[in-house]
Amino acid sequence: MTHTLSTSTIRVADAPTGDLRVRRRGPVDVLTSSTVHGILILFSLLSTVPILIVVMNSFKTTQGIFGEPFALPNAETFNVQGYLNVFARGSFLLNYQNSIIVTVSTIVLTVVLGTAAAWALVEYKVRIGPVIAGFFVIGIMLPIRLGTVPLIKTMTAWGLMDTLPALILVYTAMQLPLAVALMTTYFRAVPTELKEAARIDGAGELRVLGITLPIVRVGIAAVASITMLPVWNDLWFPLILAPGKQNQTVTLGVQQFVGQFQSDYPALLAALTLGAVPLVLLFTVFSRQYIAGLSNGYGK
Amino acid sequence: MRTTPPVIAASAAVALALGLTGCAASGGGGDADAVTITLATWRTEDTAMWEEEVIPAFEASHPGIHVEYAPVDTNDYNAAIQSQLEGGTGPDLIMCRPFDVNRQWISKGYFDDLSDLDAISSFDDTALSAWAGDDGAPYCVPVASVLAGFYYNKAIFDELGLEVPTTQQEFIDVLDAIKEDGTYAPLALGSADGWQLAYNMLYQVGPNYWKGEDGRLGLIDGSQKLTDPAFVEGFTVFDSFSDYLPNGFESISYEDMTQMFTLGKAAILPDGSWQISQVDSTGLDVGVFGAPPASAGDTRYQQEMADMAIGLNADSAQKDAATAFLEWLGTPEFQQLYVNKLPGFFSMGTEPVTYDDPLAQEFAGLKEGAELTSRLALDRLSAGQPPLDDEIWRVAQLMYNTGMSPEDATAELQAGLDSWYVPAQ
Amino acid sequence: MIRTAARYRLLALFVLPALIVYTAFAVYPLLSSVVLSFFDSDTGSNVFVGLDNYVFLFTDQWQSERFWNALGNSLEFFLIHLLVELPIGLLMAALLTSARIRRSVGVYRTMLFIPATLSVVIVGFIWRLIINPLWGLVEFPLLGNELTALPTISLMSVWQWLGIPMVFLYTALLAIPNDVVEAARIDGANGWQVFWRIKFPLIAPQFGLIVVLTYIWTFNGFDIVYALNGSAPGPNYSTDILGTFFYRTFFGSSGQVANLDLGATVASVIFFIILVTTAAYFWVLQRRLKTYEL
Repeated sequence: MTHTLSTSTIRVADAPTGDLRVRRRGPVDVLTSSTVHGILILFSLLSTVPILIVVMNSFKTTQGIFGEPFALPNAETFNVQGYLNVFARGSFLLNYQNSIIVTVSTIVLTVVLGTAAAWALVEYKVRIGPVIAGFFVIGIMLPIRLGTVPLIKTMTAWGLMDTLPALILVYTAMQLPLAVALMTTYFRAVPTELKEAARIDGAGELRVLGITLPIVRVGIAAVASITMLPVWNDLWFPLILAPGKQNQTVTLGVQQFVGQFQSDYPALLAALTLGAVPLVLLFTVFSRQYIAGLSNGYGK
Repeated sequence: MRTTPPVIAASAAVALALGLTGCAASGGGGDADAVTITLATWRTEDTAMWEEEVIPAFEASHPGIHVEYAPVDTNDYNAAIQSQLEGGTGPDLIMCRPFDVNRQWISKGYFDDLSDLDAISSFDDTALSAWAGDDGAPYCVPVASVLAGFYYNKAIFDELGLEVPTTQQEFIDVLDAIKEDGTYAPLALGSADGWQLAYNMLYQVGPNYWKGEDGRLGLIDGSQKLTDPAFVEGFTVFDSFSDYLPNGFESISYEDMTQMFTLGKAAILPDGSWQISQVDSTGLDVGVFGAPPASAGDTRYQQEMADMAIGLNADSAQKDAATAFLEWLGTPEFQQLYVNKLPGFFSMGTEPVTYDDPLAQEFAGLKEGAELTSRLALDRLSAGQPPLDDEIWRVAQLMYNTGMSPEDATAELQAGLDSWYVPAQ
Repeated sequence: MIRTAARYRLLALFVLPALIVYTAFAVYPLLSSVVLSFFDSDTGSNVFVGLDNYVFLFTDQWQSERFWNALGNSLEFFLIHLLVELPIGLLMAALLTSARIRRSVGVYRTMLFIPATLSVVIVGFIWRLIINPLWGLVEFPLLGNELTALPTISLMSVWQWLGIPMVFLYTALLAIPNDVVEAARIDGANGWQVFWRIKFPLIAPQFGLIVVLTYIWTFNGFDIVYALNGSAPGPNYSTDILGTFFYRTFFGSSGQVANLDLGATVASVIFFIILVTTAAYFWVLQRRLKTYEL
């Protein structure tokens, strides 16, 4: 059976390893522990120092930000007005709650629906399978903003206009293609004997899927980490589908600090810094699943 | 720990339910008698002022109507409003962009004709024309206009013994003096944001050479071209300021310019009147002068741009309440309140208004003794592809960044315009 | 093995929910809008014009110039991601799974991922500040120069999204059982050989997938350019990519009126380009890559 979008699977034991015996004493192994740490530290700093600059500047006055952007806040420039503005104007906590509801619901829905679909596409090979898989993959290529007006009409027709479920449904639909595509790669690496053994033991299909989950949960965590990002940070759909004050997400709420000609920088930086925290927390939660991947006693 | 499918499914259901209840519980508040109308706008920075001053004043004189100020950041405003109106949702009151963009919205039927409103009689035809349809009927009630000028740091001028220039040559001399002194940058001006090169520089200094409305209307009716000497001279004068730009100006954005000026590092800031409160914010002693004419005694031209108006959504469910609000916009009560709460925005009504803020009063004074003119390219000349306004932004940047000559620039612009524009006869 | 009839039933059961949500809230809205590209509504009523809009896009002097410019810029945008983001992501993933470190993996992992959690507004703000000639660390106006503006923005985007290929390749590498690596080490392989002869071939399909995904994301890319330079990104459209070209055409801007039909045309063309090249890639390359059951 040829699938244009799948790859053939073979067993690791049969994998070619190349001729490793040629040089017993190869070039000096430069990957010492300190080198590895050194490189990782370098890139980690590169990733986080700019953000620390933003956090630092969120505690300064506007003049302090532009006058001396890289200096720590001193007596003159230290100012928490930004944070005060964020909490005083515009129900920041409510926005936070909305963002969390939308993002977490989308993650859960995407993971559940996407995992199920990917499992089936890998496991139950039928002629129409690749067509469905391709149909999903195409969704990764589409610019969702193009469909804005029909989406408004659909949501209005279903009475979902200016609600959080509208956002959840749109985001899930947007992220499902990627979730399905990614999860199929993780499912393909699951050994067949494991599944067959379960079936021989009389397990139903749902049970078999359940048995594979510990193996693919690393993939699930990766999918969750990746799909949550554009959902939390999206401005457009909250603006169009959930603009009411009680439904605003953090990203939308923050826009009030972005003016036509002048922006309230301290407040903007404060709000956006606070906005990143839940995502980092969610990522550490998902990362726990990666630890499972380090031990690999399954099936061997 | 295994997360079994049922658990996952259950948490999905819970999350979805949370979302549903979350919105159900918070929807539909407010007392039963009051009608709520929404006003959409791109002026996010005015939120506090509207919610604390203007709207309470309206609601006090119109009990039973509640107005919700719903700002959308300016970059997404057009896209969001268009999508909402096409989709059948949308605010009751819509703030209108001037000229061509608005004409397209009118032609798509977004607005109601406002000819019957009393408020319309408070404005003269020039004010209304920025928001009139092709049929000549008014579709938005004007709210405010803005002026362009050159802010200057009085302390720096005093320190260097400079006087406000009254001719272009004097202006160049002033800039030379500041540049020679070396302590301060002559102009807080960068080219990263093309729009302000056009709006705050070219459309300010240029009209002194292409004779303001004569030139602008000449382009529209086809009797003049951008390649005519008057226009080329305007572009040349614009270009002459490039000698006085700070280092790295190609990356200096509009916000950087303002910060540069308010931190006292530059002497002169070409900008619009909307920036008054920002410019005042650091306690500098600031004055403003208009773009001086070529020679003493020549007519001076002052850019005044019809900036904001409010229109009525044709599909609004609360037309009575919304119309009441629009009527209120024509009253001196609103105009006096609005322009004094927002210095830098000027009333467009026929009733005279006094401005409390001294800088705003000084700015308004620039209109005296000058011929007023709109920004060059927004009326009729940007309705097709390529839009002249966008092209001027691009070309202005090229002139400063790459040294493109005014002759080449105007030739390219005219070629673009000729490719689609049919002069209105 | 499961019987064919049962397979169809099971497939339907598991796939249908995802299929329904996806079709209703993504495919249908997009198709309805793509249909606009075959109509012309300038005169007020919709007139079916077939492929006229497409012809116009490619033959009109101004539109086609902008289109090809955007296409070239998108290609440059993609290539920088391909040559910078993916190798570094792979390097990070490899280092994180190397035998040399055990503790503090989580700390590095999270720190490398944090930029991806940020709003594009922060990313733009911080890098704009750092490279600002007035108050930043760089004198040369990188964003104002036609040649350097796009690479600069591309690198900002690379900085932001590095965590994604890193996470994906990291999880792919995690699945490789230790005994395979141990066996190779016993045979005398050093770290370099272990990685390139053992690990990389085992994750080649995933690597191929992330290349394709990066391609798709950069060609649909929009946010960072829009956040920094607005919808007519300069200077002189040097940072105008397909995403911003579409947005500007479809929604208009302050100086430009919206054109729904032409915008839908642009979106369809972009989609078609991505579809054809991706399909070609899958056909030629990805099919040959083997997935190993581990």
